[in-house]
Amino acid sequence: MLETQDLTFSYDGTTQILKSLYLQVRRGELLLITGPTGSGKSTLAKCLTGFIPRSIEGCFSGSVHIDGRNTEHLSTPEFSKMISLVQQDPDSQICTLIVSDEVAFGPENYEFEEKIIENLVKSSLSDVNSLHLSQRKTHTLSGGEKQRVAIAAILACQSDFIILDEPSSSLDPQGIIYLRNILSKLKEKNVGIICIEHNLSAIRPIADRVLSLDNGILSDVPEKQSQDLIIPYKIQGSINQKPLLTLERTSFSYGSTPIINDVDFRITPNEIIALMGANGSGKTTLISVLGGLLTPNQGSVFLGEISISKLQLKDITRQLSIVFQNPTYQIFESTVWKEQILTSEILEINDEEHKELSQNLLEIAGLINLRERNPFSLSHGQKRRLNLTSTTVHSPHILLLDEPFIGQDPDGRQFILNTIFETAKNGGAVVIVTHDVDFARKYCNRIVFLENGVILLDGNPESVLQKLPEIGHDEYSKIGTVV
Amino acid sequence: MSNHESVIQKDDGESRLNPLTKLFSLVIILTGIIIYPSWKLSLILLIVLLFLFKISQILIKLSRRRTKFIILFSVILLLFQVLITVNGTILGFIIPRINTIGPYFPITDYGLERGLSISLRFLLIIFSSMLFVAVTDPTLLAHSLTKLRIPYRYTFALVIALRFLPLFESENQIVRQAQRSRGIQPEVRGFKKILRTIQYMFFPLLVSSLSRVETLSLSMDGRGFGYHKTRKYLRKSSWKILDTVTLLVVIIFIILCVFLANGIFPQLSTLI
Repeated sequence: MLETQDLTFSYDGTTQILKSLYLQVRRGELLLITGPTGSGKSTLAKCLTGFIPRSIEGCFSGSVHIDGRNTEHLSTPEFSKMISLVQQDPDSQICTLIVSDEVAFGPENYEFEEKIIENLVKSSLSDVNSLHLSQRKTHTLSGGEKQRVAIAAILACQSDFIILDEPSSSLDPQGIIYLRNILSKLKEKNVGIICIEHNLSAIRPIADRVLSLDNGILSDVPEKQSQDLIIPYKIQGSINQKPLLTLERTSFSYGSTPIINDVDFRITPNEIIALMGANGSGKTTLISVLGGLLTPNQGSVFLGEISISKLQLKDITRQLSIVFQNPTYQIFESTVWKEQILTSEILEINDEEHKELSQNLLEIAGLINLRERNPFSLSHGQKRRLNLTSTTVHSPHILLLDEPFIGQDPDGRQFILNTIFETAKNGGAVVIVTHDVDFARKYCNRIVFLENGVILLDGNPESVLQKLPEIGHDEYSKIGTVV
Repeated sequence: MSNHESVIQKDDGESRLNPLTKLFSLVIILTGIIIYPSWKLSLILLIVLLFLFKISQILIKLSRRRTKFIILFSVILLLFQVLITVNGTILGFIIPRINTIGPYFPITDYGLERGLSISLRFLLIIFSSMLFVAVTDPTLLAHSLTKLRIPYRYTFALVIALRFLPLFESENQIVRQAQRSRGIQPEVRGFKKILRTIQYMFFPLLVSSLSRVETLSLSMDGRGFGYHKTRKYLRKSSWKILDTVTLLVVIIFIILCVFLANGIFPQLSTLI
């Protein structure tokens, strides 16, 4: 059994992230831990895996016990032989170039027998249904494949307990079903699992217990916890209005690999469009083409009636905002406030009115108290909200949001939803890349479903979601909220 | 997949040379052409190198921006040397005499040889390094270096550097797109604007790299890196007769370069 006794931690000695936690996880049990952004879930994972206080400094007290043994005296590698961590970003934790090397990495370090290492590589890859990837170069894997390889690499270390930090965050519904199967197999193998998730419904069906971490304290989560957001405005549908953004027979390829194939697409005022499709179907590329960040090999993009290629960069920014999947790339300034007013400065609208608006936006987004903080030090969810406030201060007509709900707690999701509805209500349009079927059904008025760079379905949410199982995508009906 | 051999390719397989042989050959040959900077020798080696690209089935894509830049830069190096070197026999002028004006910028045989020598050596260094990276398995190189008693902590730095190269390249592209998405254009008018342009490029890249470093170090430590003083390797490099022969050939090559540079074979040096 893995247990903590009176576990308390603070990075700076003043703000307590974890407050006297008592936690127990048995072998073969799956414990799901949820909680708001910045509540200390990842910190707890690092304490449980021994990185805190061994590799990461701070004020640590209390203890972690495995089978009644205090782990205080163990080194990080000794600790990790018993408890392993699969971190949030699978891409950054892969350290070799070939999948089989990656899975063999742990057993090689522990100097297992050669034959045993071979068997572990094979069985671990097999457990995550990825034996076929063994000779693939790691940098060529998709996000879901990297996630599976990262789990296999941990399985090969043969730890008794595994902690996964937001494993479903960027997986499509098929990927989540794979993940559930992998975790169920691990439970059968008597491995104790702690899964940290914002998205309860992804893992809840196979979890034995669900706890919430808030303000450094763990508490039970009710069986049925509503994740519904409040619809802030009623949006009228658009009929025969001039399109805000048009793609005409557009194709795009990276080198010789086609990503977008002959896509025709019109975005009209008041539309909230869910852009859906499996990982690697071309959604992010389509967003980049729509936003003028990538030039199509064929076809044209029109912003209003003007070809986007003929517009100045500032003119595009004035009318259209894009929020990327990884918020760090879109942060450029040294304080939250400077970052917030950056777009106003670029567009030369940095007057008092816009400063006041910026102030209000930071307040609504819950970032006003952090205005002097370095934006890079914010949590993932906070960075994402800052991306949104800083790119919408000038009220652009079009918002292109790439998986905006990843890492957001209910408050963050509500804030993003309000921004989406406000843009649509004011005659604008929003395109949201998402895997969340419930979100698309409840809050969007159109779904565009992409497969292999081609629009397979386009229409109102009910009709598209009804047709998805008919064309072989029944995974979308099996999965609930997947934000 | 029914057997282990199909899951794990345990040695260097198709690659005929040991990674160490490749590394030593690269270093020795490049040292050789620095000791004896003949343009003819560099040209011969460049032709051999292009042949090696061909047999290794590695494509040098002339359409790629990086390749274009390398070739353009070598041409600039050649022209620059031709322009600044006025010694030697004049072969012609870049701007010939027109009526009473000119001629300007003489092209001399010495200037041309010097220019060719520098630009061809530049191409040789860049393309041979590209070939080395393309045909060398970093894990096997790490294993070979460990056999030379270099601690595995250092040899793994090389593996990690090569693992993250494609990632940083793609991140660079993403940051440029992110700049465009915010309406940021690179500005070079004025010191402050240059600093701002640099900041907008490097801040996101640096922060992203640092966060990757933290994740990676936790990931490696969390899988027992440093648990023992040594570690096992499932895939190992092997030393074959071909490696010994190749190494002998490149050693003879560098000795020859030293002799040629010291005028020991004057007749041969007139040929190459």
